Amino acid sequence: MSGVTQEAVRTTTRVADWRSTLRRWIPKRWYAHVILITACFLSGIPLFYALIVSTQTNAEVFRYQFTPGTGLAENWNLVFNVRHLHDYMINSVIMAAGITFFKTLFSLLSGLAFVYFRFPGKWLVFGFVLITLMMPTEVLIIALFRFINDLNWQNTYLALIVPFTASATGTFLFRQHFASIPAELSEAAQLDGANPLQFLFRVLVPMSWNTIGALAVVQVIYAWNMYLWPNMIITNPDLQTIQTGIGALRSSGGALQFGPLMLGAVFTSLPPVLVFILLQKQFMSGFTLTRDK
Amino acid sequence: MKKLVFAALMFALVLALAVPASTIQAQDRTRVDVWIAFQDYRLDWTNEKAAEFNEMFPQYEVVITGGFSYEAVFAQVAVAAEQNQLPAVVQFFEAGTQDARDSGLFKPIADALAGRTEINGLPVDLEDFVAPVIAYYTLDGKFTSMPWNTSSSIMFSNMNFLRAAGIETPPATWGEIDAACEKIMALDNAPEYCWTFPNHGWFFEQWLAQQNALYVNNDNGRSARATEVAFNSEAGLAILKWLDDQYNKGYLYYSGAQGGDSWVTVDQSYQTQQVAMAVYSSSDTTLYTQMGLDNGFETVASFYPYNDETGWTGNLIGGATLWLVDGLDPEVEEGALTFLVYLTNTENAADWHKLTGYIAIRESANRLLEEEGWFDENPNQTVAARQLSESTVTPATSGALVGGFPAIRNVVTAAIDRVLLTDDDPAAVLEQAAADANLIIEEYNLLNAP
Amino acid sequence: MIVSPQLLILGAAVIGAGVLGSVFRRAGGRTPVGMALGAAGGALGSLLFMAPLDYCTFEAERETLDVIFGMLLVVAGMALVLAPASWISERLIRRQSLISESQITTGTFKHWWLAFPLLLPTLTILVLFLYYPSVETLRLSTKLSRLGARREVSVCMDNFTRLVHDAEYLDIVGRTLWISAVIVVLSMALSLLIATMAYLPVRGASIYRVLLVWPYAISPAVAGIIFLLMFNPAGGIINHLTGQWFGVKLGWLNDPKVAPWTVILASVWKSMGFNILFYIAGLQNVPKDLIEAGAIDGAGVLRRFWHIVWPMLSPTTFFLIVTNLTYAFFETYATIDYLTPGGGPLKSTTTMMYQVVQLGIRNNDMGKAAAQSIVLFLLVIGLTLLLFRSGERRVTYGV
Repeated sequence: MSGVTQEAVRTTTRVADWRSTLRRWIPKRWYAHVILITACFLSGIPLFYALIVSTQTNAEVFRYQFTPGTGLAENWNLVFNVRHLHDYMINSVIMAAGITFFKTLFSLLSGLAFVYFRFPGKWLVFGFVLITLMMPTEVLIIALFRFINDLNWQNTYLALIVPFTASATGTFLFRQHFASIPAELSEAAQLDGANPLQFLFRVLVPMSWNTIGALAVVQVIYAWNMYLWPNMIITNPDLQTIQTGIGALRSSGGALQFGPLMLGAVFTSLPPVLVFILLQKQFMSGFTLTRDK
Repeated sequence: MKKLVFAALMFALVLALAVPASTIQAQDRTRVDVWIAFQDYRLDWTNEKAAEFNEMFPQYEVVITGGFSYEAVFAQVAVAAEQNQLPAVVQFFEAGTQDARDSGLFKPIADALAGRTEINGLPVDLEDFVAPVIAYYTLDGKFTSMPWNTSSSIMFSNMNFLRAAGIETPPATWGEIDAACEKIMALDNAPEYCWTFPNHGWFFEQWLAQQNALYVNNDNGRSARATEVAFNSEAGLAILKWLDDQYNKGYLYYSGAQGGDSWVTVDQSYQTQQVAMAVYSSSDTTLYTQMGLDNGFETVASFYPYNDETGWTGNLIGGATLWLVDGLDPEVEEGALTFLVYLTNTENAADWHKLTGYIAIRESANRLLEEEGWFDENPNQTVAARQLSESTVTPATSGALVGGFPAIRNVVTAAIDRVLLTDDDPAAVLEQAAADANLIIEEYNLLNAP
Repeated sequence: MIVSPQLLILGAAVIGAGVLGSVFRRAGGRTPVGMALGAAGGALGSLLFMAPLDYCTFEAERETLDVIFGMLLVVAGMALVLAPASWISERLIRRQSLISESQITTGTFKHWWLAFPLLLPTLTILVLFLYYPSVETLRLSTKLSRLGARREVSVCMDNFTRLVHDAEYLDIVGRTLWISAVIVVLSMALSLLIATMAYLPVRGASIYRVLLVWPYAISPAVAGIIFLLMFNPAGGIINHLTGQWFGVKLGWLNDPKVAPWTVILASVWKSMGFNILFYIAGLQNVPKDLIEAGAIDGAGVLRRFWHIVWPMLSPTTFFLIVTNLTYAFFETYATIDYLTPGGGPLKSTTTMMYQVVQLGIRNNDMGKAAAQSIVLFLLVIGLTLLLFRSGERRVTYGV
């Protein structure tokens, strides 16, 4: 073999070596990783920056430093000891719990009525519930605002909870679910002398925890994030919910202080984000179950 | 079964929580509810004063409820009135004055005091309030509502920039601002913009009053009910043209926020030294002075700049007053009056002024501050009061009384917004704004005039 | 009166008789019965809106526009009565069940009336907090009304006719539509791209998924707050960085051309998690062998995606369009309210929903706000129906 060919072979091996090393180092479908990492980065950075700012004083914020600052204690003090953000959170918890609980309960009851009863005018009642899917509360908000005021409910938890406790979506969800449960069960229950409520709570509910959980997760996030309605109807800061209450941190004595505002924003987001990440499957099924209505 | 019990418990919980807090009251003390429109350090201060008051007068229990904004409290009162759920005292901003009068919900302070010089042992002296305040809050010849947070519009200057440009005293007129801006913007380390203002309807009203021009007809609604706006005048047009000119030259920073939401945006641009001067309310004099100290520059407060061509007649009072609700139990009314007198006594008026920058509304409080040397140490704090006391009182500088005022303000700020951001002819924009505002007045009078 | 009420009722009765008569004839019922019912229904329908309005749109001094609106209301009222009437009577004559879904016939409880106490909570709440406010919205829309005012004044259809001439309002409608469209399209397109990548069998796919979907749970309000921190033109980090790197500073919140895009960015950021979640789920339903079959046929990646995967995803896409539209129309309110309180420079971030609240609550002008609510309602319903109609044709369900 001549020296020239030897040289060529050596080069080829070197190139091949280099390729395999490259392949080892660059994961399969590197383009997917690039896109995904960029996406994670871009969607993560706003909250990450908010987290950093929540530890900074205003002066540090405007120095644009990307490291935790020295203002956390002071911000914490302002947010929780002076502005009592947790009071707003408690209000939101009550609202979210109330809406979720009663919506689920009422939907269970009406689902039961639609599946396990035959009564005259059922189609009419059903249509009556069905049509409300086309009436978003938002477009009725002016009239609802007046009506709640006429009821003397402004600045009560009733105003935050009661109007949202009936749901066509929930009713359909349980109607579909119950319809998929074999009829023998209810026959057996009736033979045992169970009344409809006993049948509901002893037989149907234990079989429906998945569906109930799914509806509950969606409702909790929806209620926690509600802004417009509490903002309109609650004028007494003691009863305000978190989404509006956090705005109080904007006027914390003069110039807008971003640190406390971001600390508030982070704490406002924690509950729904945790619920969402932990109960993602339930959340999804809650949504997918209701979509074929 | 457990679940049913749980359901019942949840229901009971919700019901219990739904009972309005106001129905639970102490038995032997007369409860006096007071609604104010603050929820920041000003609310904290008021709560402190209420606690002191409750200690001094154990027969009363004053309860302060803070609100999100003047506008929110204003809306809340309309609702509460329909339900007979009004508190004893409400804080109304100046734009709500006509609505408050038309509602018939309130009793003039003078009537309630009925000439007494003492209430529950506290001395009452309405004459002691500073002259512009008395003039502004005397309606139909009567002292109507209790002055509390009174301010005027002034200007704050970052002296680092001004001195660097060779300007020793802040500009006083539109022309001087223009000249100063030319120099400031030519600096090597020039700020991004020369000056800014909150696009709140009040500032337009101030510039109009300075030129002795009316906002609405019938002597600003003081000789008879206002039926039309009058701001679509030469004076009104001059303001729009001047602002437009400043914006086009790149001197004026406009944050895009309007009304009550515009304040914080100005705070921020001043604090970050994005602008050299900020036109603002004297209500935050303490804060603006402090912002300078915190960020290494000196803040000097000065009179609100005026139009060189028309000269300066005077400025308006701004802020809010405390209104006494009519038809209260005599005991509650007595308690409310006592609290109002206490809250605005000499010491508290001085303390309130120091905390915020609202003017010290009592002559005696001013004397007290003078003796303490406060004004010498804090020259910025004297500006608003001097500006008001040097003002000539005319219908124009007394401020407008007109129904639907908050909505009209939104029309005016939208017009300024349009003039700044588009090439539309300021005169046409102003005419359109006047037409929109007239419709609001017409509809308001249709629904509310007696 | 331009048209006398009696004449209108008569005309409505004749049309009603015609419509229902022909329905009866086609379905094989008795035509005269149908005509009688139709006449009654048509007359009643024409009164539905006109009786409360007292025929004010037809008064002599009214403009043509009022008359047109009046006629539309008469027709709408008739349609509201006649359409359900024809549907029901057709089904009754043909002896079809009124509920399409198959019902359990065994296992139902004996005492049928027990159903009503069970339905009572739901029905009461729906009547009080949805049906009553709907009627009240209609009533308010014909009034001048302020909270706390001494009186209320009827203004016929003025609150609506005014809108037709109101250039600013028409701008708001247009803006609402384009902002919503951009949010929906941008968010869904990006989500589909990312979901496809996250669906590929790459390492750490499950970690990626969690990191991608959580922003959904952030509230629209907090999205506004965080973007305010980053994008505020005076002192925000974005302008600081772009200023340093490129010497460019944009008026993210105070330039009317840019401000809507800031709202769009915040909304897209917040809503993508939801879309990614559902697209990943949708992709999991695509049978693997179908894709592999495409690969054997030698179809390119993009072609395979377009011809096999995309049609299979159409139910998900359709569902997402509907939910995203609702989000863009209504829930962006909170984002806007924190980012550009008041609705932005030149109202550039004022959507229809935002305008309703500004007018009704801030300006205490409830009548006009109610009228605008109704326009918003009609628009949303119209769009949804349009989507459902085109959806029926396009969506491929399952295999």
